[in-house]
Amino acid sequence: MHDIAKDQPVKKGQNPFATKAVKLKRRDRTISVALGAATYFILACTLYIFADITFKGIPVVFKTEAPFVNFEFFTKSPETLMTFETEGGETYKMNFSEYSQFKRDSPDVNIVEEHSHAYSGGGIFGPLVGTALLTIICITVALFVGLATAIFLNEYATKGRFMDSIRLAIMNLAGVPSIVFGLFGLMFFCLFIPVVTSEPLERSFLAIPLGGGSYFSFEGWGTCMLAGGFTLAVMILPVVIAACEESLKAIPMGFREASLALGATKWQTISKAVLPYAFPGMLTASILGITRVAGETAPIMFTAALAHKDKLPWQDVPTTPGSNFVAQAAEWGTGFLSQSVQAMPYHIYTVAARIPQSEYTKPMQYGSVFVFMVLVMTFAALSIFLRIRYRKKLKW
Amino acid sequence: MSLNDEKKTPENEKDGRVVFRRKGFQFLGMGLQDYIRVFFGGNASLAIIVLILICLFLLREAAMFFPDHHQGLKSYRQGGQELVGYVSDEVDAHTKVYSSANIAYFAEVGRTSIHEDKQLRAYRTVLANVEQSTKYTWARLERYLDEAEDLNDDVEDLREDIEEASADAEADAEDLKKDQAELAEIEARLKQLEPLIAKEREQLEKEVQTALGTSRVWDLDIAARGLSDEELSMVREAVVFEAYPDAEDEHESIQNLKQVSRDKKAAEAERLADFKETLNGIRDSIRPMKSLYGEMKDISVANRREIDAFSTAPARRAALLAGVEQTDDPAEKERMQKQADEVVIVEPDYDAINEPLYALVPQHGELAGPLQDEMNKLFRQLPQEVETKSARENMKRAAVYYERFDNTVTNNRDRILDWRHDAPLSLWTSTTSFMFGKHWITNSSWHDFYGLLPLFTGSLLISIIALTVSVPFAVAAAIYVNQIARFKEQSFVKPAIEFIGAIPSVVLGFFGILVFGEALRNISQLEWLQWVPGFPMAERLTILNAGLLLAFMAVPTIFTLTEDALNNVPAAFSENSLALGATKLQTVFRVIVPTAVSGIIAAILLGFGRIIGETMVVLLVAGNKIKIPDFTEGLGVVAQPAHTMTGIIAQELGEVDSGSLHWRALFMVGMVLFVISLLVNWAAQRTLKRLQKI
Repeated sequence: MHDIAKDQPVKKGQNPFATKAVKLKRRDRTISVALGAATYFILACTLYIFADITFKGIPVVFKTEAPFVNFEFFTKSPETLMTFETEGGETYKMNFSEYSQFKRDSPDVNIVEEHSHAYSGGGIFGPLVGTALLTIICITVALFVGLATAIFLNEYATKGRFMDSIRLAIMNLAGVPSIVFGLFGLMFFCLFIPVVTSEPLERSFLAIPLGGGSYFSFEGWGTCMLAGGFTLAVMILPVVIAACEESLKAIPMGFREASLALGATKWQTISKAVLPYAFPGMLTASILGITRVAGETAPIMFTAALAHKDKLPWQDVPTTPGSNFVAQAAEWGTGFLSQSVQAMPYHIYTVAARIPQSEYTKPMQYGSVFVFMVLVMTFAALSIFLRIRYRKKLKW
Repeated sequence: MSLNDEKKTPENEKDGRVVFRRKGFQFLGMGLQDYIRVFFGGNASLAIIVLILICLFLLREAAMFFPDHHQGLKSYRQGGQELVGYVSDEVDAHTKVYSSANIAYFAEVGRTSIHEDKQLRAYRTVLANVEQSTKYTWARLERYLDEAEDLNDDVEDLREDIEEASADAEADAEDLKKDQAELAEIEARLKQLEPLIAKEREQLEKEVQTALGTSRVWDLDIAARGLSDEELSMVREAVVFEAYPDAEDEHESIQNLKQVSRDKKAAEAERLADFKETLNGIRDSIRPMKSLYGEMKDISVANRREIDAFSTAPARRAALLAGVEQTDDPAEKERMQKQADEVVIVEPDYDAINEPLYALVPQHGELAGPLQDEMNKLFRQLPQEVETKSARENMKRAAVYYERFDNTVTNNRDRILDWRHDAPLSLWTSTTSFMFGKHWITNSSWHDFYGLLPLFTGSLLISIIALTVSVPFAVAAAIYVNQIARFKEQSFVKPAIEFIGAIPSVVLGFFGILVFGEALRNISQLEWLQWVPGFPMAERLTILNAGLLLAFMAVPTIFTLTEDALNNVPAAFSENSLALGATKLQTVFRVIVPTAVSGIIAAILLGFGRIIGETMVVLLVAGNKIKIPDFTEGLGVVAQPAHTMTGIIAQELGEVDSGSLHWRALFMVGMVLFVISLLVNWAAQRTLKRLQKI
């Protein structure tokens, strides 16, 4: 008896009975693995970026001893950081305001070796507030217009040239580079949009007298948060419209038909039978909008943002004392909205590229990027989560 | 109530069977419902209005850009600067030939001393790094040492004084006493300093040792790598020796190395004496042309000043007259009025001011021929065979530049002879000089050029890199997620990739500037990657860096749209294919992907739109050098810095006066971007329509 297998050992891959299909299968598997590898490579890159920023940012934002959070970083605005050494050989590191205080308190201390690091001291309160204000203005405007547009497209419009051109315009608007929106915002909101004023500026295109010493002047709002917010709103309009439309489309036709059949008017149908159910979708739309808007730098560079600002927007808004409350409130509101603000993305741009780098600028850089990223990513995660949940739930 | 009553029209009354009667508010024949509809429609048409407004505002600036730009070019011609520009091109082209050949020469000379230079380089790098990390202690110690030295000098002086005074009987006893007191004081201070110095020295020693222990200090670039342990310890010793403010001359071994390197270079230079002589010949050959250029330049600059003074005169006068009306002070008024009267508005005599330039043209003709002949001769004398890699590359470059130089001179000969300052300048020329201009030079004392080409090439190169990298990854990921991955995996990977789209671009730019740029440069210096074109990279901020980051940014866009396209392929297609016995992947690649191909193309196009319009990443990472990248390096061009269309707007718009030519030029760039985005969108929609026809 002799063993066939011993005489002719069948090696792996040399199976005489192997059909083409096996080869094919092996090739299929290789390609699948390659495709999967490409996918996970992308995810690995993402993870690496997050990890890098997180590891370097956490020491700035958190502390090892109680209360564990670096509150100063969140409650102060960016300042110049001073590092210096006194004659005794002691080194100091303090914000500019503390530094002037220090010099006043101890005039006999002889300072040698002094360095200043712009924007590297203090915290990020100013930019956070600015970004929040810009985002609020932007989302208010964008959601209002976006929802109205979505309602028109989904509830009113019938197929035709008007609707086609609106859709085309929205689609093209979505592709316009953000910097072009910045140019548009600068020309339109900052320098052109008409305002009622008692003294038209020299740059005004056209000032129409209204009587009583006031003019309807095409001079724009100037560089301010209102202009920035509106510019951003125009930019995210396509995103908001798309999200709102999706939420309206998800509502079954039967709701509308039932309402109309009961004798409700079109508007009653929309307001009572459609909009309430579209609410979660609108929430998703606004969060999606926040994600897009908070990170944008280019459109606010010339329309709203400032690298340095001493005061917070609500401090020292001028009002005329003695006038009645409503007039004062209106004046305060206008004054408040027509201020330029600091903003997180612009602040990051400033500390990353416009100041000389040193080891003292690093904490501010990584701290702001970390906080900003966590904020934006939270909103992004929320919007993705909401969308998935909403889609699952929406099975009427 | 009354409104309702009015609306009850007689017909309705009569009819009596009306079920649906229009009720409520009516105005101009439209009811409330109609107005609500109009309100929503109005909001919807805002998208159209905004698009039209963008067009209008950009067009307005563009319409105002071209006349000003045309006027600027006209002044450039009328002042004779255009003519001088031709000569300047020749001189520049020559300089490029010379400098490339020169670099090659030095690479050759340093050929035999490479090893010594490597050690010296390592030594310098490490020393600089150590000094950087110990700079505060260093500065303190230096201060104490300086003080001690000054005090020691003082002590000597005082001692001499005292000696003299005590020898001299007539000297003032008071003075002597004072000197002695001062001496005592200084000596006390010196004594005080001693422990301080010792302490700081100890501290510095410790810090130097710590610094040498870290790997960051030993982070050498490629030109200083590959040393043996022995050599490294030598470097270390020399660094420790030198890392104090009061260190004497350099360590012996370093001095030796320097000497050896010098000797070897000298020997090599002797061998290459012919090379050097030819180089000097090349350098000297341009001298006459250069001095002619200088002469012509002075004339044309003066001309231009005269022309500019003429063109701004009315505005200056108007400003002064406006000032006269506004001031109340009579003396000031009179002064301004006088100044305004002094502003003369006389058009310069263009023929006369260009006369001296025309007189120099024949001289140029006399110089150009011999220069070309001499360069031809000298260039042939350059050694064709060189040893080192750098020398070979630079000689190749020099050959390309020589070709360009020769062509420039040949082409310019007729151009310079035919040049007329009063030749008409067509609007077409001024348009093409924007669209295809090779220079973007602003705030220049010579002439401001607004040429789009450097910015456009930068944007395009970055986009091409980004697309080549991101398309394979994004499409592969889309196929994987849509066709291969199981449901659980799908529902995790898809949101994760969409998540990337939410990363703010400024954060990515920040990452690129602080982390990725450095990492990329380190990778480019790895020994086994030197075959890659453009490696090793000298810069952190390059086209490649920006391109790779943008590739990452474009992944979610391309991925999502591709995935949608794959999803839209009818299930019957794949079912049929599988039923015919095709494997899963055969079905994917031969049936599904080809069916979805127009959707994938649309996805790539939209990804391109996203990349070319991206601002912050390129502004932070691309290096912002306004120059057409040097394509003589082949694919290595990606290791150079560049500027982009989006970046230039973001960088310069904030710094220019509104309404100036520069400002309008930036709006023109914005307009080009806008048109590109519209074109990309249009193309994407067309391809998508094809998909829908299936």
